[in-house]
Amino acid sequence: MDSKHHLISEAYQRRKKGWDKFFKGLFWLAGFISAIFIILIIVFIVRKGIGPFLPSYPGGAYPIGKFLTGFQWRQDSAIYGVAFIVINTIISALGALLISFPISVLTALFITKIAPRSLSRIMTTIVELLAAIPSVVYGVFAAGVIVRWVDSLAAMAGFSTYGGNSLLAVSILLAIMVFPTMTSLAIVAINAVPRELVEGSLALGATTTQTNFRVVLTSAKSGIFAGLILGLGRAFGEATAVSMVAGNSMIGPTFNPFNITRTLTSTMLAGLKETQGLDYDIRFSVGIILMAVILVTNLGIHFVKDRIGRSMS
Amino acid sequence: MKTFEIKDLNLWYGDFHALKDIDMDIRNNKVSAFIGPSGCGKSTFLRVLNRMNDLIDGTKITGQVLFNGQEIYAPESDVVTLRTKVGMVFQKPNPFPMSVYDNVAYGLRVQGIKNKAVLNDTVEDSLKKAALWEEVKDRLSDNALQLSGGQQQRLCIARAIALSPEVILMDEPTSALDPIATGKIEELMESLKKDYTIAIVTLSMQQAARISDYTAFFLLGDLIEMGPTREVFHKPNDKRTEDYITGRFG
Amino acid sequence: MTRKRRIYDGILNALTYLSSGIAVIILVMVLQFVFVRGWSGVNFDLLSKPYWSGNNTIEFPQFKTGAFDRPDHLGDDIAFSEKLGIGLSDGLDAYKEHQVVVEYLDPESPLHHGVVSTAGVDLGKELGLSEGSNIVNLMLKDTDDKIVNVGAQRKSTAEETVAAMDNISEMRKIYFKTEGGGINGSLKATLYLIGLSLVIALPIGIAAAIYLNEYAKANRVTNAMRSSIELLSGVPSIIFGLMGVSVLFPITQLMGIHTVSIILGALTMAVVLLPLIIRQTEESLKVVPIDLRYASLSLGATQTQTIFKVILPSALPGILTATLLSISRIIGESAALIYTMGTFIADRPRLDQGATTLAVQIWSLMSGEQPNFELSSTISIIILLIVLALNVSVKLISYRINKKWSVS
Repeated sequence: MDSKHHLISEAYQRRKKGWDKFFKGLFWLAGFISAIFIILIIVFIVRKGIGPFLPSYPGGAYPIGKFLTGFQWRQDSAIYGVAFIVINTIISALGALLISFPISVLTALFITKIAPRSLSRIMTTIVELLAAIPSVVYGVFAAGVIVRWVDSLAAMAGFSTYGGNSLLAVSILLAIMVFPTMTSLAIVAINAVPRELVEGSLALGATTTQTNFRVVLTSAKSGIFAGLILGLGRAFGEATAVSMVAGNSMIGPTFNPFNITRTLTSTMLAGLKETQGLDYDIRFSVGIILMAVILVTNLGIHFVKDRIGRSMS
Repeated sequence: MKTFEIKDLNLWYGDFHALKDIDMDIRNNKVSAFIGPSGCGKSTFLRVLNRMNDLIDGTKITGQVLFNGQEIYAPESDVVTLRTKVGMVFQKPNPFPMSVYDNVAYGLRVQGIKNKAVLNDTVEDSLKKAALWEEVKDRLSDNALQLSGGQQQRLCIARAIALSPEVILMDEPTSALDPIATGKIEELMESLKKDYTIAIVTLSMQQAARISDYTAFFLLGDLIEMGPTREVFHKPNDKRTEDYITGRFG
Repeated sequence: MTRKRRIYDGILNALTYLSSGIAVIILVMVLQFVFVRGWSGVNFDLLSKPYWSGNNTIEFPQFKTGAFDRPDHLGDDIAFSEKLGIGLSDGLDAYKEHQVVVEYLDPESPLHHGVVSTAGVDLGKELGLSEGSNIVNLMLKDTDDKIVNVGAQRKSTAEETVAAMDNISEMRKIYFKTEGGGINGSLKATLYLIGLSLVIALPIGIAAAIYLNEYAKANRVTNAMRSSIELLSGVPSIIFGLMGVSVLFPITQLMGIHTVSIILGALTMAVVLLPLIIRQTEESLKVVPIDLRYASLSLGATQTQTIFKVILPSALPGILTATLLSISRIIGESAALIYTMGTFIADRPRLDQGATTLAVQIWSLMSGEQPNFELSSTISIIILLIVLALNVSVKLISYRINKKWSVS
């Protein structure tokens, strides 16, 4: 038998093993870089964001107490109080979920259990299309259409608005924007409900509708909840579209839905001109607050969910 | 001549003791069959011989595995070179999603051999040895996934042969094939053994009896006995071997 | 089933229909709004036109009138000067100001051969009048040797301007504005950004996915890496903007860039895209059968050879999907880019300077004193069409992947 082994060169074997080591290192490095960024983001933003409150800050430290508890945000007179903005952000996001959550869950139920096959496919595509629309486009829509709805609604209720820019407009906009996220997670959750549960319920004489609402939705609740959290995170973090209709009030908090509001993200984008100085750096401080709000609400929701889960079992 | 000499081999997957104190010789230019109920360790043992178990996290091996007198688990031993000398054919045909030609040439190319003439000759020669040449000589550039299951498995054998290994390990090579394709592969093994040492894991005792010169019976990680196939099948030394062969358990 | 139960069930089911209906209505309204407001602006000129209109004043050192025939295709609303070979119409700009628009210019017209007369680097450079421009002011001597000023500034109509032109003895000066309101600059900047972001993000993302799927052992370090990447995908895009100007800005500073820039935007987008590319690539690596890896290794290939020769080619459709989704993400992104690339619409974008992408141009148009809904909607249509095409392609590819591996 004619062996091929004499054709294999030692040098090639060595080289190929060298490359093997090299690439393994390279792949590891890429993984490391990808993983390290979340830490870099936190470290750098926190470092830059606490800068304005330190005595070493050029032009003097801004009092951190005033920042955290202030109820005024005036770029023109350098007053930066973030407390009311946090409240506004939470209110507008909760408002959005209030509108969007039931619609999302019902749509998901429609797509998975109720609609005939062809209709269900069309609806899935529609949800995907809504998810694919970029946020500036929603912003243009909100600034052109939603504000007019709000304006006429306000007129009916006997209020006047600033051209429709308002808390309500922000909430409606966010409701539309978080809808696809929550719906697709709810669809996944509902599809994961075991068939035996459904059949068990039907066998006990429940109607299909009863089964859908009592058995399917309750069994899918942890997945639906995950969608809720994701939707909330998106509502908190959405920036460009929100800035187009928030109106950026200077004081607050805003409780009247027809009044202008100011969210953490709209603050970060408003009047962005210089790329240095207190007015710029304080946006990083707002960024810290935004990350903290998202983190705390996530943890809070998990905590509440655990409590509810335990009290039920 | 002994191609492999295995002494006191133990293998663990994590806490699971998969092979226990195995001693075995594998003779050159013979077909050695490993039989036993599934989960007995025969496939694991086969994968010891070309160090494929290295790929599974948490594998631990002790003992000696000599290939032509060299310890293959020694730190200075080179696994890549070992695998060019100990080829393998798998349970399910697994051709690469590339042309028939590229499949057979793969082994040479990854060793840095680029010479067109050498590649052409080797591809033809290997496909002939694998009794596939006549069927595919006009479709060498077709995607290998278009071949039938039996053809795919013979292609995998040709692919292993192309590197002119000394040993071919076969892990239940016919379990995914129909009886006709199986017959062809068995014929092929008969013709291959004059050039190669073959070790085959099989679930079918008839197959072991038909094709092998030596048979080893594994049970729960132990090598119960190994001997010439005729002896193992007709007068086994161990009661458990007899029980298994006569179908008392399986 | 009782009657009450039936009614109750009916109501609940109707609610799900209603909810789905709302979703449909919203989609229809969004599309209807941008198409109604923006469709009239969609044309190929838009893609090649700059955003800013240029101001030019030109003189004519050698001026000779000619005799031109009115072309047949000119509409009735266009006034034609037979001496200068120019067709003019009345128009309105984005701010509803009156314009005298050059609709047609004969190839032989003397108005092609002007020179710049304003002080500056371009003084004396050849510059002709161009179609689409707005004649702000035109100064000429008429046959009575009287100086006449006509044009948009004087509120002359196209008729009046042509009448003056046909009564010309000597041309003095034309002050005109070239046509603006286009998206050429943003389109280029978007393409630059896509190219550069992918060049950075794809290799890192694919390599990271290979590490996680092919090499990483199942241990705590790997889990931590996975969770970190997972967390990254949940970070709001405005935070990525802050990340860009704090973490990545020093890198562009090393290249000698001291402002926001397309490069900074691309680095930032690369980080934004990493989790997406890693996830998509890993999905496609996972469906490559493990047997192929064993087969390759059993033939004496190294792991690197196995990856490049067998695994990556099989995972190619998944990587293509990741690329298309990444492009879609870049086109839609705004908040992160406002921080890292600025909001000034650049007609001639450069990698080391700030510029707007299509999406950020919308933001710039909308956040001014007078929001420009028309152009914003037109750009929205373009963005939507691109994003839609990308999503459809992704669906087709994933359909083909599923088919391929379910057959073999």
